[in-house]
Parts: sequence; C-alpha cells; structure tokens
Amino acid sequence: MTRRTVLIGLDGATYTILDPLMAEGAMPFLRSLAQSGVRADLRTIIPPLTPPAWTSLMTGRSPAHHGIFDFFQRESPDSMYLRFASSNEVASETVWSMASRQGLRVTALNFPLMFPARPINGFVVPGGWVPWKQLRVACYPPDLYDRLKALPGFNARELAMDMKVEEKAIEGCKDDEYEEWITFHIRREEHWFEILRHLMSEDPCELTAVMFDGVDKLQHLCWIYLDPAYADLIRTPEQRRIRELCVDYFRGLDGIIERIAALAGPDANILLASDHGFGPTVEVFHVNTWLAQHGYLAWTERASEVDGSAVLGMQDLGRYASRFDWMRTRAYAATPSSNGIHIVRPGQTPGPGVSDADYERFRDELVARLYDVRDPVSGEPVVAHIATRAEAFNGPRGELAPDLTLALRDGGLVSILPSDEPLRPREKPSGAHRPVGIFLASGPDIRTATHAGELSILDVAPTILYSLGLPIPTSLEGRMPEEIIKPEHLQAEPPRVDAGNGDPAPPENKADEQAPAEAIVHPVMDAETEAVIMNRLRALGYVE
Amino acid sequence: MVGTVRKGYAMVYSQQIMDDILGMLSQLSKDWEYSGDITPDTLLFEDLGFESLDIVVLGTSIQEKYHKMMPFSEFLSDLGQREVKDLSVGELVEFVGEQLDDAPVGGKA
Repeated sequence: MTRRTVLIGLDGATYTILDPLMAEGAMPFLRSLAQSGVRADLRTIIPPLTPPAWTSLMTGRSPAHHGIFDFFQRESPDSMYLRFASSNEVASETVWSMASRQGLRVTALNFPLMFPARPINGFVVPGGWVPWKQLRVACYPPDLYDRLKALPGFNARELAMDMKVEEKAIEGCKDDEYEEWITFHIRREEHWFEILRHLMSEDPCELTAVMFDGVDKLQHLCWIYLDPAYADLIRTPEQRRIRELCVDYFRGLDGIIERIAALAGPDANILLASDHGFGPTVEVFHVNTWLAQHGYLAWTERASEVDGSAVLGMQDLGRYASRFDWMRTRAYAATPSSNGIHIVRPGQTPGPGVSDADYERFRDELVARLYDVRDPVSGEPVVAHIATRAEAFNGPRGELAPDLTLALRDGGLVSILPSDEPLRPREKPSGAHRPVGIFLASGPDIRTATHAGELSILDVAPTILYSLGLPIPTSLEGRMPEEIIKPEHLQAEPPRVDAGNGDPAPPENKADEQAPAEAIVHPVMDAETEAVIMNRLRALGYVE
Repeated sequence: MVGTVRKGYAMVYSQQIMDDILGMLSQLSKDWEYSGDITPDTLLFEDLGFESLDIVVLGTSIQEKYHKMMPFSEFLSDLGQREVKDLSVGELVEFVGEQLDDAPVGGKA
C-alpha cells in the first residue's frame, strides 16, 4: 500500500547539537519524535559534503555512480577545468523521479543539484546555486512561481541564493553581523515552510520532501555558541545574545517540524535525515603549502600576493588555481570543500604531469608522506585517513573524482591557500562536517522507541520507496532497514525488489557528456573585481 | 556564422532567438522590480544588475530551452579580453544563434 511519506532534510544536523537542545527544552517536538519513534546515526558517503551527500540520499547511489563529488565538477577526466555542478551532471535517477514515474505525486523543495528542475508529477523548487533573480525559471511546473509569489510574505531574495549572505558560512561574520545573519536564516526557513504549507494544503502529494539548510550554515559559523563543550568561551553579554539567537533558530525549526507533522497527519510516515554530521575544527592544514614544501607543487609569482589568511571565501575559490606553476606541479587541491588532491596527468595541464607508468608509485608515495605529516608540537599525525580514488570512488563516474581524499584528525577541511606553515591553529574553533549525521523516523509503520544503531545515507532512498509501497531497484546500493519497521507491517508488506530496474539512467537527464562545458563563472562579482573578473576566470582555469 | 556567410539563415534564427531570450528576460525582470525596457542593447551586468552566477544560471536555462550544451565558458572568456566587461542581450543572442546554426530553431529555410 502507498503510505504518505514526508522527508525532512536537516543539512548537517548532528546529535552533538540537537541532544543538548532537546534536553534543555528548546526542541520539544523533536525530542518527542526521537523518543517515540526510531532514532539512528546516519553515516554519509565520502566526502561528507552537501552536494554529493544529498545526491546520494536522493538517488540511493554513491558518488562514483551519481557523479557528484563537490560543488564543482571536473569537465572530464582529462581536464583540469571545473564547472558548477548541476542536475545535468547527476547520472542516477532520483527517488522523486522513481516515485513520479510510478504514478505518485511528489513535492521536493530546496534540495541541491535539482536545477535545472526535471519534470515530475508534482512540484520542485531547487535549492543550492539558484540566484533569486531566476528562481521563477527554476521552479517546476512553470506556473509554480506565480503561485508562490502570491503567498503572503513571499520573498525570493531571502528564499533563494544570495551570494553575499552565503559567503558568510565560509568566510565568517564580523561580530556585529551575527544577529542579522542568524535572524535571516530563521526567516528563510519560515519562507520554505510557507511554500511547503501551501503545497501540502492545496496539492498534497504522496511524497513530500523539504530541506532546511540553515542548520549547516549556523553550525559552520556559530559552533562555539552551539556546542556545550565550548560554553566557557561564551562570557560577554553579546556572546550570550548570539547563543540565544542560535537557540531561537533551532526552536523555530522545531516548531516548523511540528507544523509539518501536523499537516502530514497521523497516517503519514515522517523521516528526518541529515546529509552529514558536524563537529569542531581547531586547525587548518594548508595542503597545497605542504605539497609545495615536498616538491609536488610549485607556486607562481602571484602566490606571493596572498594575504595569508586561513579563511577562504567563495570569491577566492578559483583565484589560487592560477597561482600554480603547472610545469612543475604534479599534485594539487583545487577546492577547499572536498579535501581532494588531484594528481596531474599528461594532457590535463600545460605541464608533463605524472605518467601512467609512474602513477601508482607516485600516488602511493604521496599517501605515505601525507600519513607522515605530524603536528610539530605533539608529534601526532595530522591526516587521519586517505582514500584513494579506487577505494572511495569505484564506479563509472569515479574518474571525475580526486585521486586522494583526506580525512583530517580534527575533521576539518583543508585550505588550498599558501601559508608560511602547513599546519596552523584557528583563531577560534568553528564547525566542520563529520561522517555521521542523524536519522529519525515516526509514523504508523515505524517502530516505536527504537534505537536503530547506525544506518547508511544510502539506506534512505530504499526506506522512502518502501514507505511509499514501491519496489526497490536492485541498483540502489543501500538496504531497506527492516529493523525500523513494525514487524506486523513488515510481515504484511514485505519489501519488494524491482529487479528489472538495473541501473537506470535518469530519464529526466538531458546532459550530453561529450558536449562542451556550460558556463563556468566565478560565483561573485563585487565592484572591486568586476573590471578584471573575466580575465581572471580564464587564468584561473575556470574558463577555457 | 551569424551575420556572415549564412546571413540569411542567421537572421531567421536570430529573430527567433531574440524573441525567446527577450521573452525570458522580460518574464524574469517582472520579479526584480525592473521597470525599463529590455532591448538588444540592454547590458546584463550594468542595466539588469546581474551577478556572474546569474549568467551561469541563465546560460543553463538557455541550454535547457534549446536542448543543446553550448560553450558559454569560451564565450565569457572572450568577453574578458575586451575593454567593456559586460554583455548585451544582442551579443548573447548572436552567440546562441551561432551555437544553434547547425540545429536551427524551427528548421532551416
């Protein structure tokens, strides 16, 4: 039977933050849901990063299959050039599409990698890199935007991408900007809820999904205000005010989740999931500096123009790629988000790179030397784990992935900026992604008061399909976790397998893999850089 | 190419494309509180207040509309080589027309 199903995505949610908030009464509904339903850890894919992780949740496939590894994508395995990842690069079918083509109606709001929106039997408002000025054309069906615009309080500027606001999640706020920034995210989640409320009321679907990304944004910037372990650092009235605003955000989110559950009604299964976890990061590993010190990378003279800041904003994302001397660079990190190191191969850059014959020796040498990076004070290893492409990305799209993906000892992200020293402490702890996030479930088919241990993010898509009463394609890499389902329901409705659905190409995907790249443009163009941005993009390698 | 050896065809394509893209921008501009006319001479950055991400997304929408990937990256890098770092609607239409020249909208005459 088809059970109405609601998926609530909480970007980066972690029990490290949620448990204390539930305990102190700031999130009473979530506490009730966690106690009465199923609670589990949710292990994400490598890397624990929003675009690949949500795409894995939405498709039930790992990055080597769905093809998303970062905010940016290499144009081809033989290219050093990057472009923004879009739905065109998602090579696996989404659970929205699976449900839709089997006759169910679907609403999917604010998930990344959904632009351009693919036609489904329902409604899509993509999240991620959609600027507010073009939200109209991003929505599906085409007349959806006019409906949304008529809603009281509708504000496209606050709903969709505003780069100047988004930068703060990476760059950091000035002290007097926290309040405005946090309250902005409180309003933003309400905007998404209003759209959801409208659609759930006027056009209820069998599958309704919404993602709230303020959790991730607040945790990046406000970790010390949220994590009780850092309570001693919150001393001044202004700091306590920031802490209270953060709690207000989560209190508001709790109210939104409660209202969504009320709209769904008692006959719906409700699933909550995060794309990855979160934790503190206290140091910065300047990986390109380390590579340069060990002869794997060479900077150009422009590298000396760097201000030495450990903080990298989106407007700087590509700037430093132009600072590599490609004739003498054999390995580099291109983006600060994926912790990935690319080994230069012949033909990718003007330089010779690493030959096929020497590749494995070079890679293994690099791995061994990275594992030997030590904290100069404690002597402890800095790199906790290194996944080779063959280990982490064994699939048809794996060639687009970095050759090496690092997990650092403090869970943080590498910096791609030059620095005097490869390892530097942060001025104050901030938030960084972790592999283990959250999964909560409640509803008529869900067990009560159950701790389900650890699930995989790849298990969420099969769970959604099962809840909807649909067969589960054998191509999905996760499993349907029977331990979260009531035994009597499991007996009456055993999971069905869709053996005929081997590894379908997404029917909605029109991308031509051999076609030239779409526009690759620096994400920000402020007044200062406007005059030179296009030239710079070319030099950076973001534009051929 | 547009405006050169296959001018007759290109004119047909360009008018269709001009109508399409002007229609797309005019539709979008209602949401921006932009009150001016959008013409072939309208500049995307200076007049419409675009940011670079807007160009990326507009390019993606155009490719979706015509079901064809286009080398926007090369196009934009060429812009970077000239004095005025902006893009008129007419230039955008001409670029799209060039890309569709081997697969014209509505078929060749």
